Amino acid sequence: MIGRAIAFGFAGLLAGCAPADDRPEIVVQRFFGECGATYGESTDVAAAETECGILTTLINRFEAENPDIRVKVNVVAWPGYAQLAAQIAAGDPPDLVTMHQSVISDYAGAGLIEPVEPLLASARIDPAAFTPAARAGVEKEGRLYAMPWDTIGRLWHINTALMDQAGLMRGGNPVLPGSPQELLAHARQFKAATGKPYLIQAQVSAPDFHVALLYTYLLEQGAPIFPDARHIRLDTPQARAIVTTLRQLNAEGLTTLNQDFPAATASFIQGKGGIFPVGTWMLGPYDAEAARPQSPLHGNYAVAPFPRLWGEEASFVDGHAWIVPAAKRPPAERAAMARFLGFLARYNYDWSRTGQLPAFAQVVESPAFRALPHRADIAALARTGKQLPGYVERQSAVQGLIGEELEAAITGAKPVDAALKDAERRVNQLYAQMM
Amino acid sequence: MSARPLSPLAMVLLVLGAGVMLAPMMWTLLLSFKSNAALMADSGAAFAGPYTFENYAAILKGSLTLQWLANSLIVATGATVGVLVLSSLAGYGFARLEFPFRRTLFVIVLLGLAVPEQAVILPRHQLFAMLGLHNSYPGLILPSLTGSFGVFFMTQYFRAIPKELDEAALLDGASRFTLFWKVLLPLTFPAQATLGVFTFLAAWNDYWWPLISATTSDRFTLTVGLASAQMNYAQTSGLGFLMAQAVFASIPILVVYIAFQKQIVRAMAGTAVR
Repeated sequence: MIGRAIAFGFAGLLAGCAPADDRPEIVVQRFFGECGATYGESTDVAAAETECGILTTLINRFEAENPDIRVKVNVVAWPGYAQLAAQIAAGDPPDLVTMHQSVISDYAGAGLIEPVEPLLASARIDPAAFTPAARAGVEKEGRLYAMPWDTIGRLWHINTALMDQAGLMRGGNPVLPGSPQELLAHARQFKAATGKPYLIQAQVSAPDFHVALLYTYLLEQGAPIFPDARHIRLDTPQARAIVTTLRQLNAEGLTTLNQDFPAATASFIQGKGGIFPVGTWMLGPYDAEAARPQSPLHGNYAVAPFPRLWGEEASFVDGHAWIVPAAKRPPAERAAMARFLGFLARYNYDWSRTGQLPAFAQVVESPAFRALPHRADIAALARTGKQLPGYVERQSAVQGLIGEELEAAITGAKPVDAALKDAERRVNQLYAQMM
Repeated sequence: MSARPLSPLAMVLLVLGAGVMLAPMMWTLLLSFKSNAALMADSGAAFAGPYTFENYAAILKGSLTLQWLANSLIVATGATVGVLVLSSLAGYGFARLEFPFRRTLFVIVLLGLAVPEQAVILPRHQLFAMLGLHNSYPGLILPSLTGSFGVFFMTQYFRAIPKELDEAALLDGASRFTLFWKVLLPLTFPAQATLGVFTFLAAWNDYWWPLISATTSDRFTLTVGLASAQMNYAQTSGLGFLMAQAVFASIPILVVYIAFQKQIVRAMAGTAVR
């Protein structure tokens, strides 16, 4: 009996002793949600949908094609920067991490992430292949701190049925304004013809909404928003012109009022207004809605980059990227990371099915991308998209401060001049307090 | 003694108050049974069918949801047991034993009540990193054990128990530990229940510390895990799923509340320490 028990024990021990796994391991940390229930086993990238589904499937496929590499995936709560900071502080950072390009400066400036040129070279990715918008998002002081993965821009999502009713369609395409005066004229014409607001806007709990408009139209005018790393310039005639126009739209009831993002999203779907200036990420959901016969949007959806209202064509953009936290890593692990980046780069087209713009110029120009719904209409963003200068840090906090002041100015709670002065003062104060 | 019946005005006010309190919960529940697509078009769709369980199915199908649930149970239970043991022992010590610097130590414990977690989170994180405690159950449980509230709470409760009980037990030959274990501790069960419920609720709902200490998916607690499962624009295009997550995460809390309703109400009314 005792002998049998000992034999059992040994058998158990032996069973527990798996052969040592000496494959290099890479830890991939990402946001975009968890969808293992649907895509946990999927390797068919072409069949995958949504950001989460496509990325989950891509990682599964990489593992299937590269059995000599172990991939450990951490799915973190969006955007995951608190966890990343904690991991870096604890000396145990992951190897490849999704990061917004606007956040890269915060980490690159502190030396917390590595330049990735050696990894890109190892993966045979030529940085010249990136679109100008994507490259600008990852280049800081002449170094590349990430592999760009896409470009996120703001678009005018348009209800063409209402535009037609307002006489703002020509040759099947929406007629968009070319100046602030024309914007107001179109909006008045639209309201008079349809009884509905021309613009749908998220003006509650959405500070980034108006900031995207302000940045875009300042960039169009070539205004130096951040003349250096510690100062913003908003108390300017250019900024006043933009905010005054937006305030006028509000004052005349040419836009929806008191809506947050979900409410504005629903308003657009229900056909309660003409144009919703929101991001590339809504292209997929709205296109799906337009394909639904019962929807007010059915067959009546178009999309375009923000129209040029001042100066040169430009659009404020951000993007997703893959960064590498600074750490010592053995060569085999670095080789595995390079292989992963190379794999992702090859599938950049599939990622662009999410609605975001590809980071590689070749994909933007490809017939496959152009054949996707509405993509030919927005491809110009890859060229006209502009990032803030690489030295601008704390972009999210800065957007919060500016957004509060803009909201006050546009809704009429505060004079435009005072709001812009206060926004400038508060942002500069934030930078002055930074070490 | 029979309770005095409420006046109609008081009844109306109470019903109104209850309605105001319940409305957000009912709204959350209704939204959780609607498809994300329907809610993206109109959140008012929650007031009409068809309703669906698809959001709950998506949660349960998540590859790690049950692991996160187990992690939360282990962490919340571990924290509760730990706090009860330590607070009872410390409370007894402060209330009944004479030792050097007793008052000074108690004041230091009280000062702990005034120190917010945010003030200590950085050094604690560094300390746990040095000790290799991140991504472990001890790493998630230990910070809960250092709270001052439990010690203060149990000290006050022990102080309220007549000292004659101690004297009688000691005269009968009981040791200090026997006195604590067999005589005084059973008398503190109402306080233990109250403290236990509050500790469990706090540990279950904790988000900040698990977010930065448990950084690998298999060590997430339910709060962090469910947050990680959300898409970027959950409030817009995943509202039903978001609400289902909120309901799912609160079910264990609801069970605890129903099981210990009496103790919670007594604690809220400030009558537990008597």
